[in-house]
Amino acid sequence: MNIIETENLTKIYKGNIRAVDNLNLQIEEGSIYGLLGPNGAGKSTTIKMLTTVIKPTSGTARVAGLDIIKQSMEVRRIIGLVPQDLTTDEDLKGIENLMMVAKFYDVPTAKARENIDRLLKLVDLQDAAKRLVGQYSGGMRKRLELIAGLVHEPKILFLDEPTLGLDVQTRSLMWDYIKNIQETKNITIILTSHYLEEVDALSDKLSIINRGKLIVSGTPAELKNNVGGDILTMSFRSAEDMNKSLEILSNFQPTKVTEKTARFKVKSSEVVLPEIIEPLKRNGIEPLRYQVDKPSLDTVFMDYVGRALPEEEGEGDSRKMMMNLRRLRR
Amino acid sequence: MSGLLPLTSREIKKWYRNPTFFIVGLLQPFFWIALFGSAFDITRGFGAAGRLILQGAPNYITFIIGGVATTTALFTGMFSGMNIIWDRRLGTLGRFLSSPIHRSSIVFSKIISATIRILVQILILFIAALLIPNGLEIASSFSAFDVILIIVTVTLVSTLFSSIFSVIAIRVTRQETIMGIVNLVNLPLMFASFALFPKQLMAPWLADIAQYNPVSWSATIMRTVIINGSLNASQLSTVLNNFIALFIVTVVVIVITYVLSESEIRQ
Ligand SMILES: Nc1ncnc2c1ncn2[C@@H]1O[C@H](COP(=O)(O)OP(=O)(O)OP(=O)(O)O)[C@@H](O)[C@H]1O
Ligand SMILES: [Mg+2]
Repeated sequence: MNIIETENLTKIYKGNIRAVDNLNLQIEEGSIYGLLGPNGAGKSTTIKMLTTVIKPTSGTARVAGLDIIKQSMEVRRIIGLVPQDLTTDEDLKGIENLMMVAKFYDVPTAKARENIDRLLKLVDLQDAAKRLVGQYSGGMRKRLELIAGLVHEPKILFLDEPTLGLDVQTRSLMWDYIKNIQETKNITIILTSHYLEEVDALSDKLSIINRGKLIVSGTPAELKNNVGGDILTMSFRSAEDMNKSLEILSNFQPTKVTEKTARFKVKSSEVVLPEIIEPLKRNGIEPLRYQVDKPSLDTVFMDYVGRALPEEEGEGDSRKMMMNLRRLRR
Repeated sequence: MSGLLPLTSREIKKWYRNPTFFIVGLLQPFFWIALFGSAFDITRGFGAAGRLILQGAPNYITFIIGGVATTTALFTGMFSGMNIIWDRRLGTLGRFLSSPIHRSSIVFSKIISATIRILVQILILFIAALLIPNGLEIASSFSAFDVILIIVTVTLVSTLFSSIFSVIAIRVTRQETIMGIVNLVNLPLMFASFALFPKQLMAPWLADIAQYNPVSWSATIMRTVIINGSLNASQLSTVLNNFIALFIVTVVVIVITYVLSESEIRQ
């Protein structure tokens, strides 16, 4: 059964910015669903609409059968949100932040204590809970954010870039927490990311979005299969070389050709490479380099969007932004 | 209103845990009473006629303390708006907006906490005014009822100004906007009122404007009971008229704040 269905969900910001453009998603109950896309793809905007923080410009969505516009209050009661920004209060203790959230949902105090204790244990923050959040490290902060979305035991949890700005180790720890939560509570989790391996490792199904539009949906395995094999990219010394090569290799269809590079989809690069190198050599052409990309979500993304994910850049930007915010605060 | 209690307790904790805010907030009344009390002292040079200008007050500080209290409310009230913008900028508002709390409780938590801050500041202000030489002299017939009237008046006027600044912040994303409005509005509100000067000393056109200024209403109520203690019929009607005006305007502004914050607050 689909717990979330969007119908032509659209958000146009001031200045005619189409952040989300006629998005249609179906998310199955009890799964982990990944929303993958580069910076500015519209992931956060989609999450904000589904969590009723902002209203869509047009279209709508149903969350657990409830309309996000007409029944927004009912939607809010059953969802949890972990926003992209750090939203816990630095001037409060960890535990105070969590108790405050629990009160928003009218969780009885005893029950709230019990939930909070369990969650603090889960993310190993029992000792830090009595300290002011302003003294937390970035990783501790992110872990607190994660459980702040869970104190009221939501049916659906939205995680907007839960591992943004974390080092590799902490990130995989975070993945374990997320998996653990999904398995023990059997809730639906929607998470956004621009880390491909994150979505690959966590999600049962995913959608790639770019510039507000849905590019493709499927399980990680399906999407990798769709790519239909390895992606071989050849760079040449000159356009002349390339055109000649394309003639020689007329039995291969390039998927993408730019000035001096050509990209092919091949079943198995190990088998095909000799068949390509040999005839070129015979004609005196030596490409500058061959690059083989094994099917991964990276290649899926490249295949569908036409360019690689600007991963490092994104991370840097957000990290800078978080640091600026923290400085501003002081 | 669900969410009001946890959000207000958050604001209060943030306030008393922030040493700068706390200490500055407490020192401010001392500065104000010392500065205003001597800088604007209009009775100097008037001799015995001074008492007449001051509507019977024994000294200038006794005359202006109600006005300074009101101005304190005016200047501290703007924090409620600033704090809403902070929450928006940091993304905290997003978490609030995704939870099943009344939207207005976000705004009213700021208004209530600002009012509590102002009440504490004004308490300090009165203590300061009593401590300094040639300071506040309260009428001997001053009663518990007068204390309650002053507290209610301060609460009303604080709520009024905090609400106005909060309403502005409902859609504004920049701190500078609030600061600009504060700069534009606060000084005129303070000076085009009976907070610091009696009506007789003002230009007639200014006095005409001042009588519609809530700052005047609040200052006049407090001044009348502080100077006179138990009131005669005409003093009572002055207090009553000003109080009714203040009460109605505050209630109207609260209703507007409620309606706008329920429907219009954005991330
Ligand atoms: N409040 C806003 N006003 C105007 N434009 C906005 C606003 N918020 C987002 N946008 C624009 O909408 C587009 C989508 O933004 P969004 O934050 O949803 O992207 P994202 O996929 O979450 O990106 P990131 O990975 O950087 O978080 C961007 O072009 C962004 O500039
Ligand atoms: Mg985002």
